[in-house]
Amino acid sequence: MNLAWVVPLFPLCSFVLLLWFGRKWKQTSAYVGIAATLLSLLAAFGVLVSRLGGATYEANWTWMKIGDATLTVGVSVTALNAWMLVVVALVSWLVHIYSQGYMAGDERFSTFYAYLGLFTFAMLGLVLSPNLLQAYMFWELVGLGSFLLIGFYFYKEEAKAAAKKAFIMTRIGDVGFLIGVLLLFWQTKSFDYDDIFRAVGNGTLSPGMTTLTAILIFIGAIGKSGQFPLHTWLPDAMEGPTPVSALIHAATMVAAGVYLVAALFPLYEASAAAMMTVAVIGGGTAVFAATIGLVQTDIKRVLAYSTISQLGYMMLALGSGSYVAAIFHLTTHAFFKALLFLAAGSVIHAVHTQNIEEMGGLWRRLPWTAPLFLVGALSISGVPLFAGFFSKDEILAAAWTNGSVGLFWLAVAAALLTSFYMFRLFFLVFAGEARHRHDGAVHEAPMSMTAPMVVLGVLSVAAGYIQTPWFGSFLGEWLTDGAYHHEAAPGWIAVVAASVSLAGILLAWLMYGKRTVPRDWLSARAPYGYELLRRHYYMDDLYRSTVVALVSSISRLLGYVDRYLVEGLVQFVTGTVNAIAAAGSRGQNGQAQTYGLVAAAGLAMLVVIFALTGGDWL
Amino acid sequence: MNDVWQSDWSLMTPEWIVLAVAVVLLLIDVAMPDERSRRPLAWGAALGAVLALGATAALIPAEPASILHGTFRLDSFAKAFKLLLLAGGALALLIVAGWNPKEGSRYGGEFAYLLLFALLGAMMTASSGDLLTLFVSVELLTVSSYILAGLRKTVAASNEAALKYVINGGIATAVMLFGMSYVFGLTGTTNLNEIARRLQETNEPYMLALAFLLLLIGVSFKLAAVPFHMWAPDVYEGAPVPATAFFAVVSKTAGFVLLLRLLVTMFAAAPAEGRDPSSLLLSMQPAIAVLAGLTMIIGSVVALRQRSLKRLLAYSSIAHAGYLLAGFAAMSWAMIDSLWIYLLAYLLMNMGAFAIVSHIVDETGSDDWDGLTGLYRHRPLLAAALGLFLLSLAGIPGTAGFIAKLHLFIGLVVTEPGHYVLAAVMAITTVISYVYYFNLIVQLFFRPLFSSAPLGRMSAGLSAAVVLCALGTLALGWAPGLAYNVLAQFDHFGDFLP
Repeated sequence: MNLAWVVPLFPLCSFVLLLWFGRKWKQTSAYVGIAATLLSLLAAFGVLVSRLGGATYEANWTWMKIGDATLTVGVSVTALNAWMLVVVALVSWLVHIYSQGYMAGDERFSTFYAYLGLFTFAMLGLVLSPNLLQAYMFWELVGLGSFLLIGFYFYKEEAKAAAKKAFIMTRIGDVGFLIGVLLLFWQTKSFDYDDIFRAVGNGTLSPGMTTLTAILIFIGAIGKSGQFPLHTWLPDAMEGPTPVSALIHAATMVAAGVYLVAALFPLYEASAAAMMTVAVIGGGTAVFAATIGLVQTDIKRVLAYSTISQLGYMMLALGSGSYVAAIFHLTTHAFFKALLFLAAGSVIHAVHTQNIEEMGGLWRRLPWTAPLFLVGALSISGVPLFAGFFSKDEILAAAWTNGSVGLFWLAVAAALLTSFYMFRLFFLVFAGEARHRHDGAVHEAPMSMTAPMVVLGVLSVAAGYIQTPWFGSFLGEWLTDGAYHHEAAPGWIAVVAASVSLAGILLAWLMYGKRTVPRDWLSARAPYGYELLRRHYYMDDLYRSTVVALVSSISRLLGYVDRYLVEGLVQFVTGTVNAIAAAGSRGQNGQAQTYGLVAAAGLAMLVVIFALTGGDWL
Repeated sequence: MNDVWQSDWSLMTPEWIVLAVAVVLLLIDVAMPDERSRRPLAWGAALGAVLALGATAALIPAEPASILHGTFRLDSFAKAFKLLLLAGGALALLIVAGWNPKEGSRYGGEFAYLLLFALLGAMMTASSGDLLTLFVSVELLTVSSYILAGLRKTVAASNEAALKYVINGGIATAVMLFGMSYVFGLTGTTNLNEIARRLQETNEPYMLALAFLLLLIGVSFKLAAVPFHMWAPDVYEGAPVPATAFFAVVSKTAGFVLLLRLLVTMFAAAPAEGRDPSSLLLSMQPAIAVLAGLTMIIGSVVALRQRSLKRLLAYSSIAHAGYLLAGFAAMSWAMIDSLWIYLLAYLLMNMGAFAIVSHIVDETGSDDWDGLTGLYRHRPLLAAALGLFLLSLAGIPGTAGFIAKLHLFIGLVVTEPGHYVLAAVMAITTVISYVYYFNLIVQLFFRPLFSSAPLGRMSAGLSAAVVLCALGTLALGWAPGLAYNVLAQFDHFGDFLP
């Protein structure tokens, strides 16, 4: 375990090597990346296995001293992050393999692998961090990797805009995170998780401050995990290459918000208000995003909204006090959502469009992809015996036993919507007749792409059995060091979950498979509601007309003050004779006297305020 | 008179070196035939600055002392900030050595020695123990800077920049002198330590407050902070790029040196109305905080509308002045340390960025950001270096800018009472600044090539500056301990106040 720090180093090496030699190595770059992540994966397994028998491990080195505060860097291996290491390394490795086929022929092939290496390094580093400052640094680096990869197709305007949007939207959350971290530091004089938990335990941190910092940090998680109201960047981020969507925007980075709240769980547990906020935002987002997913026509956007919705589920679990259910769902989701994205990538690879209206009838043409997509869809829909069923059941049970009935029914509704939109997608893409003639033959993807999907397909079923009501709760005991006891949830919850998921599938089949219910049933009956969903509840338009407009108008206003208003004062002083001349010289003849006037006015204002307040400023 | 000659002149070794090199270069420049390249002179000047840097480093172990009737002080503060000033000056001279404007670098010689004279003024500011020396040193720096701004004599923008600089500088000087006259009137001496001692006995809090405000506004000109910030974009845009780099880095550092020397020394223990312990400086915190807040906001918001690289960096430098002023307003016990760290990071990332901008302006003849578009496609290393400097300016972890900003942040929140409003303004303006830094990064990496003619090779001077700054930015970002080791020698500037 004391070698845990090597886990993130392999992808870092891959990044550095590919940055230097990538242009020479070209297609060989893939093997460098794959080998590096394989080594990481093996090391992560090693860490997990040694943690099985051992205790929590932590090592710190002094990084810098500021006054009497010592900042350290280090690694820690707890049950939670040993588990996360394996999940991240595994998905990353599979995506590395898949990309070899998907990205083949791209002229910036090696750059792609270099960025993947950077991202994997940052993500593993984030997971291993023993303190908030280090976590924050890797958190930013993860964002940078995501920025680079979303903008990978930089010649597309949309990709550029999406990359910028993703970076800036998540940054808004990060301000909250940073302020929360600084407040915690101010109160506890430490960034270390353990010190903070101790301070929470012995009351050094007042209840009000606990709530405030927990919520501020949660704002960071909202940004990163695409929760309402900072979710709008995630669907746009689908402009990135599909393997990136699978790795970053489904399995790992977006789950970092959930991981952060889980890692700080003792802080959240200490504040009922913070828990409530997490649960409500999570539950609300789960339903909200699922309804938008109902009407999207871009295959990747449907999956993106589904990701937002599932992340909302995890937040709901955390807010309901079930840490284990959240991590369990995080794990199963990482597998089945990565599978769905990779399968979607394979479909796109075959038909060269992302519009599901132009697909159809692909079941027989894609003999590997189609059944694997079906497995993923069954798993996310929560059909019994698939992984998603067990983890979703666990969350529903947690919400119920926590006593939040409203949130429970919200989650059930989200489950219904999930299975409906997933199977709408499935039937539109794979069933029926081809609705569009595709140029060239539609062909199945190469082995390098199908093999990782098969592995994920197996995991999308098998991962559920680490935590079941029947065989025991291995994951729960592991994460809580044996203190876990399965709360006896009423048996009918599983029945409700299963029937809701089957009902959704049935409805989708009636509408899109058998077509007994007309497809325009909703849009004909509630055209406004339909439009509302199609335009994502107008969230983007709202932001464009409020926040973005506000910032740019402040900017315009200040520029205006700089150039026109102050100049107007000068004109007033020097008389109207100069007015005409001054008007002509607004542009480049930036007036020196204006500058002097501003300085004098500034001085005068300070002196006047001082005189009026008599030295007692505030 | 005798004791003047018996003074320990060796304390002034760095100043002597700079002065001697400047005078020698001046004579060579006059004697040299017109058509010969002046580039070797710039290299000579850079060498002189490096020698003086070495001499300053050698003086670090010396006990704090003052000579010439207390007008020249060599304490840890002077040593620490001279290191910064000389490093900045040397890098600016490397950029001068690589300077290649389209009308020819006939004035390269003047550039080199005038820059050294300006540097000398900045160094003397750091060592001044007297109002008179302080004023004369600042004027040496400022007057040399006026000429540097107008050095491209055939370019109208450069002339305009020089004229605006002179006018605004003149106003600032007048305001500052006015403030000094109050202090002199109250104490009857010009020695800073003596002033500090006598001010404790006066009971004129209002008169003193007025003097403080006058001095603060006067100094804000050198910092390019609100309300004396408006000259900066015009002057930065019109002046030759190496001069702009010098103004943005060395001049600004000298401004903070002046701020600390003047205001902290004189007013830290001066009486204030209704304060316990009585300190005029502390009672003025709100005024400084307001200026800091406004400076951060204006610097980062107005920059959103700029497309000229030089104007953009000008507004960015205004924003950074705001962050530094916020650090000053916090007045935490480690204030000087954190300002030093910030100025070091600021020096590295700005000098690096200006070196690259200088190359682009020389090659394309314009400073529109189109010149950066798609740079990654044919000059990946150059683009990566500029990307690094921009990330550092934005304060992304892993770069010097992050470490520096972290210090200021911690300074703002650990003091009692904490300055949350300033910390919040800093966080928000930092995010706003991401928009324009990342706009540039998008230009660099995510766009197809704009101009068909690829950039020419970078000269040795510019390359050296870029490499040094990039290494420094990374080193300070990942191993800030290196800088702390230097800082540890100064022991928190315990000998700064008398």
